[in-house]
Amino acid sequence: MKLVVLVKQVPEADKVAVDPETGTLIREGVTAILNPYCEYALDQAAKLRTDNPNLDIEITAISMGPPQAKMALLRCLELGADKAYLLSDRKFAGSDVWATSSALKEGVSKLVPDFDLILTGKQAIDGDTAQVPAETAEQLGIPQITYGVDVKLNNKRVEVKREVETGYQVLSAKMPALVTMSKGSNIRRIPSMQAILDARKKPLESFTADDLGIDEEKVGLSASPTQVDKIFAPPSKTGGEIIYGSDPKEAAKKLFEYLKMNGFLRL
Amino acid sequence: MSNIIQAIKLDEVPFERIRSIHGEKTITQSYPNYLIDESKTSGGKAELIFFPDNEQEVSTIVRKMREERVEITISAARTGIVGSAIPFGGAILVLERMNGIQGIGFDEEERRWFIRVQPAISLQEINDFIKSKKFILDDQNIPQTESAVQRFNAYIYHYPVDPTEMTASIGGTIGTNASGARTFKYGPTREWVKRIRVVLSTGEVLDIPRGQYYAKDGKFIVKTGKEEYLVKIPTYKMPNAKNAAGLYAKPDMDLIDLFIGSEGIFGVITEAELWIKEYEPHMSNIAFFDNEKDALDFVHKLRTADRCKPDFIEYFDNNALNLLRNVQKKDPKFVNMPPIREDIKTAISFDIFYTEETLDFYFETIGKMLKECNSSLEDSWSAYEERETDRFKHFRHAVPEIVNNIIAERKKQYPDIHKLGTDMSVEDQYLADMMKFYHSTLIEAGLEYVIWGHIGDNHVHVNILPRDLNDLELGTKLYKKFAKKAVEYGGSVSAEHGIGKIKHEYLVIMYGEDAIDQMRAVKNTLDPDNIFNEGNIFPEEKE
Repeated sequence: MKLVVLVKQVPEADKVAVDPETGTLIREGVTAILNPYCEYALDQAAKLRTDNPNLDIEITAISMGPPQAKMALLRCLELGADKAYLLSDRKFAGSDVWATSSALKEGVSKLVPDFDLILTGKQAIDGDTAQVPAETAEQLGIPQITYGVDVKLNNKRVEVKREVETGYQVLSAKMPALVTMSKGSNIRRIPSMQAILDARKKPLESFTADDLGIDEEKVGLSASPTQVDKIFAPPSKTGGEIIYGSDPKEAAKKLFEYLKMNGFLRL
Repeated sequence: MSNIIQAIKLDEVPFERIRSIHGEKTITQSYPNYLIDESKTSGGKAELIFFPDNEQEVSTIVRKMREERVEITISAARTGIVGSAIPFGGAILVLERMNGIQGIGFDEEERRWFIRVQPAISLQEINDFIKSKKFILDDQNIPQTESAVQRFNAYIYHYPVDPTEMTASIGGTIGTNASGARTFKYGPTREWVKRIRVVLSTGEVLDIPRGQYYAKDGKFIVKTGKEEYLVKIPTYKMPNAKNAAGLYAKPDMDLIDLFIGSEGIFGVITEAELWIKEYEPHMSNIAFFDNEKDALDFVHKLRTADRCKPDFIEYFDNNALNLLRNVQKKDPKFVNMPPIREDIKTAISFDIFYTEETLDFYFETIGKMLKECNSSLEDSWSAYEERETDRFKHFRHAVPEIVNNIIAERKKQYPDIHKLGTDMSVEDQYLADMMKFYHSTLIEAGLEYVIWGHIGDNHVHVNILPRDLNDLELGTKLYKKFAKKAVEYGGSVSAEHGIGKIKHEYLVIMYGEDAIDQMRAVKNTLDPDNIFNEGNIFPEEKE
């Protein structure tokens, strides 16, 4: 069985500052790490392999990024991935979420065409858009389940316990499918010295757009329908109005009056 | 080279303009922080506190206090754990306002960079500053060219002495010759001090670069404005093992070494130059063993390996691991490491130099050693990313932190209870014997204890956790027994923490009364009125 884990290298969050003048992230001197949610996805993949020894699970980590993103893939290999592929090309530069998912779709289809399940983080801690997994699933034409906290394999289906606002929901989908992970153990795993040594002997290959026959028109800045204007902290919410009262009827009446007074209701 | 040094006279500044606090009551009530250090020794008191801004003010204070026969306790970060900074009367000379960086320099002869600092700057601040690569020409008080500053800023440097407590002041760490885990590779503070300035009891200053003043016939001559002091170097032989107990003494010694580790009894350090070095990336590793003998064999192999010398080798005994395991069950985030397997009895933590090019060779070499010691590379943890190596650092410090928490809890029932923590060293060949002696003595006594620490330097910390006052009394007796054994095994009664005001009796065990008299004689020569740091290393009067 073939599992693909899509990962991203991100700047270590608590060390990033926002430039107050330009509104962009100051990444200089900040160490890059494997996106924590992607690490949860990899942990889940490793757990599935341990829990299902008869399925002969092979884990492939794939990332799109600059050459130094190899370090994030190396960590994946240390933590249990069997092989890793980096999609790296100047032609990918400036890709937005759509163009990124286009590249990932091509990468996955060409490098692991017979994949059964894709696991990935629910979002990356630098951009926080949570768009790439969903768009990749759409482009691949496979079902997706987001915000997973636990994954089980059941015959040809994947069963996912996922977070919803009110608690948990269990969904299942026919494989091949894509699942995004939102939570893992709060104690990160630590590889052994042997695992670190072995990781450096596992395949870690880099591919350009040409290598994969990716159409230049589909990736990079020119293929990106969206553009980031500015990154800023959202303004903090002001107090608002809370209506207190033990009698629901009374409270509803007050709320109605308030909405009417402030022009929120057209009567 | 000479054994004669001339003190420099400084102009006086108006005494009344120096910042100060007066009155024992005011100080006790409003400034209690200056009466205590990390030893938590109680009973500190003072009538005066001074906050000098510069060397001249220090000099003026010292002259005035000497005239008035007021003793001075020197105080900076107060992170020491043997009470050296606790005053018992007199004045406190607080150096906290003298905490600047004065410049970087390149020593052409040694081809090494150094940094010039004031005494109260912390080790953390020094490292943050030199790692920031933001040196600019305007900040310099050492003549420097723009191109030299650029050359400096092109690399990451650091001051490699790491006594764990990075809020310690540089003056304090020079006064105590501080060391720590990384001393295994880099040596103690002493080896990193290039030059110091010290205000003597006359108020004059000695400017002592390393390599300029050496003893002749076991003597130094210190010339002050009015007198000549003949300093006779003590004749005892220091242990070969790691040592922070008593004065440094060797027949042909450098004068600077007399002041380093002297716990402030000869004067006030007002400026220091320190060697710094290029930062080397490292990997943190922990290997696991199911018995102590295998672990000690591994330590022996690792420290004698010629081509992969670790930065440090640290040890955790089974009791220490049990403490960690217990906390992991209740609060996994506190330890922040994967569960420690129950069958593991000893852990050895070591950092090694890391590049992708050397990794294979290092790990394969270490793998062989582990195999010979019935462990393996699989049975280990390893990390090289900074956020991950930080976890390992936290893990190494978790044991003493947990011990302190347990003691604090027990103090609620028995206020007099405190931790009994040793810091003794022995010579290489006696390590296994000493470890055996610690375990068997403590088990026989039925005391609760953990052992952890700097095993690479044959220097572990035995922490006894008394459950009641009987345990405390018994533990105190054992402490003395351990001190005698350590000396018998060619070691020191204090390899790291110093003697301060609370370990006098152990220094006597180590060197004998005659040696203490010789140390006292040096003190009486350089500080005839006994104004500096009374009670540090030895009592002022013979007991």
